[in-house]
Amino acid sequence: MESETFEPKIVAFLCNWCSYAGADLAGTSRLYYPANVRAIRVMCSGRVDPAMMIRPFIDGADGVLVLGCHFGDCHYLTGNYQTDQRVRIVWEVLRQVGVDPGRLHLDWVSAAEGARFAEIVEEFCNRMRHMGPLQASLPSGPLPYDLPLALAIAAEIVEGERFRWLLGRLRELREQGSVYGERIDAARLEQLVRDVIAEEYVRAGVQVLAAREPLSVKDMASKLGLAARDVLKQVAYLKKRGVLDIYDVRQQSPRYQSTTRIGVDDLG
Amino acid sequence: MGVAHGEVKAEAPHMGGINEAGCGRGPRIGVYVCHCGLNIAATVDVARVRDAVAGLPGVVVARDNKYTCSEVGQKTIADDIKNLNLDRVVIASCSPRLHERTFRELMARSGLNPFLLEMANIREQCSWVHGHDREAATRKAVALTRAAIARAALLEPLERNVGSVTKSAMVIGGGVAGISAALYLANMGVKTYLVEREPSIGGHMAMLDKTFPTLDCSLCILSPKMVEVRENSNIELLSYTEVRKVEGQVGSFKVELLRKPRYIDEAKCVACGLCAEKCPSKAPDEFNRGYSERKAIYIPFPQAIPASYVIDPNYCRYFTRGGKCRVCEKICERGAVDFSQREEIVTLDVGAIVIATGFEPYDASRKTQYGYGRFPNVITSLDFERIICADGPTHGKLKRPSDWEIPRRIAFIQCVGSRDEHETDGAGKYCSRVCCMITAKQAFMVKEKYPDAEVYVYHTDMRTAGKGFEEFYQRGRSEGIVFVRGKPGEIVENPEDHSLRVVAEDADSGCILDLTFDMVVLAIGLRPPGGLVELAQKLNVSRSADGFLLEGHPKLRPAETSIEGIYLAGCAQFPKDIPDSVAQAGCAAAAAAGVLASDRIEMDPLNPVVDEELCIGCRLCEKLCPYGGIKVEKTDKGFKARVIELACKGCGVCGAACSARAIKMRHYSDEQIYAQTAALLEVG
Ligand code: FES
Repeated sequence: MESETFEPKIVAFLCNWCSYAGADLAGTSRLYYPANVRAIRVMCSGRVDPAMMIRPFIDGADGVLVLGCHFGDCHYLTGNYQTDQRVRIVWEVLRQVGVDPGRLHLDWVSAAEGARFAEIVEEFCNRMRHMGPLQASLPSGPLPYDLPLALAIAAEIVEGERFRWLLGRLRELREQGSVYGERIDAARLEQLVRDVIAEEYVRAGVQVLAAREPLSVKDMASKLGLAARDVLKQVAYLKKRGVLDIYDVRQQSPRYQSTTRIGVDDLG
Repeated sequence: MGVAHGEVKAEAPHMGGINEAGCGRGPRIGVYVCHCGLNIAATVDVARVRDAVAGLPGVVVARDNKYTCSEVGQKTIADDIKNLNLDRVVIASCSPRLHERTFRELMARSGLNPFLLEMANIREQCSWVHGHDREAATRKAVALTRAAIARAALLEPLERNVGSVTKSAMVIGGGVAGISAALYLANMGVKTYLVEREPSIGGHMAMLDKTFPTLDCSLCILSPKMVEVRENSNIELLSYTEVRKVEGQVGSFKVELLRKPRYIDEAKCVACGLCAEKCPSKAPDEFNRGYSERKAIYIPFPQAIPASYVIDPNYCRYFTRGGKCRVCEKICERGAVDFSQREEIVTLDVGAIVIATGFEPYDASRKTQYGYGRFPNVITSLDFERIICADGPTHGKLKRPSDWEIPRRIAFIQCVGSRDEHETDGAGKYCSRVCCMITAKQAFMVKEKYPDAEVYVYHTDMRTAGKGFEEFYQRGRSEGIVFVRGKPGEIVENPEDHSLRVVAEDADSGCILDLTFDMVVLAIGLRPPGGLVELAQKLNVSRSADGFLLEGHPKLRPAETSIEGIYLAGCAQFPKDIPDSVAQAGCAAAAAAGVLASDRIEMDPLNPVVDEELCIGCRLCEKLCPYGGIKVEKTDKGFKARVIELACKGCGVCGAACSARAIKMRHYSDEQIYAQTAALLEVG
């Protein structure tokens, strides 16, 4: 019953030159589409940070659309190639934390494609109606945590310096290979991306959890669905960097707390 | 009718206290929700939107106006800014792409920084698309307006970057539109480079025999203009030249051109034609649509400008047989032949660009049912122009290609490759606008030459809107031209005598017409020219769904593109006839000259700022910026990114990628965008 009346909230990032203009054209042509989608204008889809793709979910969106110019048409030449890499990697991040990546959709709409804009919105909206509310959907997979936590971890993963650096270089690596001129084949690169995300997941998970409440390594590991030794490695590392501190010791195992407030605000 | 329709002021007793507290020393925002007549108000409950935002923190006044952009509407805002000490303005109305500039100017006039304006698009992206659901539309309008307010509260004043203006222009394409644009500009004192990819200017108009509806000889009216181009000291003609690269922005474009070798020194050649007389190699003459031959060394047509020969390396023996022949070189007394010429890169600095790249005729052989290319006596309307032209393959005698006999029965078929649902490209679906009148003209010319010829025109409808067009068409009717409403399904050729059988239903009488003709002329549509996709990408201008270039606004900016400083003339935008092309050329030239008349160009200051404390010099930004707008340099604090303000275009790709979060975008900061997202999602 719920799903029949469910109206998803959708945030769309539109680039000024193509997709926003396309959305305007849908208006001038009086093409009706569901009012669920609400747009944010940016100059280029390349402005949309991975964190920006996750943030609306935290704020209560059920779906996020990123629409840019077609390849070759980006007003800033190559911005949308970057967007393409970013959305793909954010899909991986969402998958990692157990959120259906289908809730983030990337597409291209030119300034002349008012009808295409309306179609994409309509289709995506229907897909979200079908998927149901994000807040009610438990993360898929064996993870024992709640949705706000999952999203907070996702948001923290994409803040990682290593993650962001890899993302920034992805296209280049894909097309030109490493500095040593060797081409990295696609499969290896995909694996590298997944490895980095998996490692960042541990780091982000520990950081976000420790910002919530003091926890032992064992507790963290069980909340994150990870092996205790992987968590311990991260904890040791974060402690060395001064991000974590021992809060107290209970039954001979120390409980850790974060020294910064990273991620905690996002938990609402 | 009062314009300030209704208002809710913070000072109003029921909410004044809350609001003054909410404002404190924070922003003082005025919110204006526009009815846009009924454009918004018919779908969105404007008063409800106004009331829903009136109490928000920072909102000092919220009003609704009938037309916010009107003088009265603007005055209301200006007065509020003064009387209520507003420091930010939010306007919920049409798309910012329409009126952002209008309202920014209003801000500036009222003493506020123009970047403290924020607009909520509740027309194009709300009322016009949600007319089926007033409630949802109103709620969305509230959300959009709240988001705009949230963002406005965080906006910062910005100073515009100022760029210089190079006082010259480039016109791309030397057809009648490009020629006209170049002349208009040159006559306004603007140094103009006219770039044409063919060896001569003139374009398609040079190929036409006569023009409708006046039956002027086409070249007789065009050729003086072409000569003027050559004579005008403000115009530099670069023929046989293509655009390779364009960088920069309005006021200072850097253009890279590729000059193809003519193998003739233009300055020395006097077009005496001796070389062509002696040249042993023949090639199909493209100017005559392949119905005659020219030599490998040739001049495209006698009135060509530049009046210089050119060597076609695909046919010239020097090139095809490895350095042999050189007859032309020997015969040329002026030593104009120069086989050592190579492709050459030319660079230009211009402040504005006019695109006049014209069209390409539809490839009629794609309509296999009409047999163009298989049946010699099926020709296109452009072929007809050459065949009937005094300079053409038959020296002005209208003859049919199979045996070069005079045709007695001629049919014209309209809308070949236009108004056709089966066409895959957008330009094939609509009316090409000129073909009906071209046929009216050509049919009339047939009758003029051979009054007893039988002429049939098969059409969808005859479209004759234009000055003197209908009269001309009626005259054709009275001369005995038969107009049949109906499109033949196919043409069948009699292989013996190459006559053509055409069967069609006359929709007006319901009769089936089964007729045989000596020649059939296909009235072909207009298509975007080859290379337009690439050119549009180089210039960064958008194309419409039909593949032609997109204008700045369909009504009010017909000669502009979405890029400031780049303008449109002629068929580059959409199929047009000659007078419309010339008129648009004038419009484009005036707009370009307007830009060039100012000494400085103001650019939106959307550049990022780098927090040197956070920057780790990883160079990601430098790598991602396609403009060299951000560079990592050595400072006393180590390697740090630095923004090159005039090179930066403000796209934000660096800010979104920075691995250390050191880059903050101006006007599109993370905080501003997050404030928007949160506000958008607050309202159900
Ligand atoms: S401007 Fe549209 S994607 Fe870059």
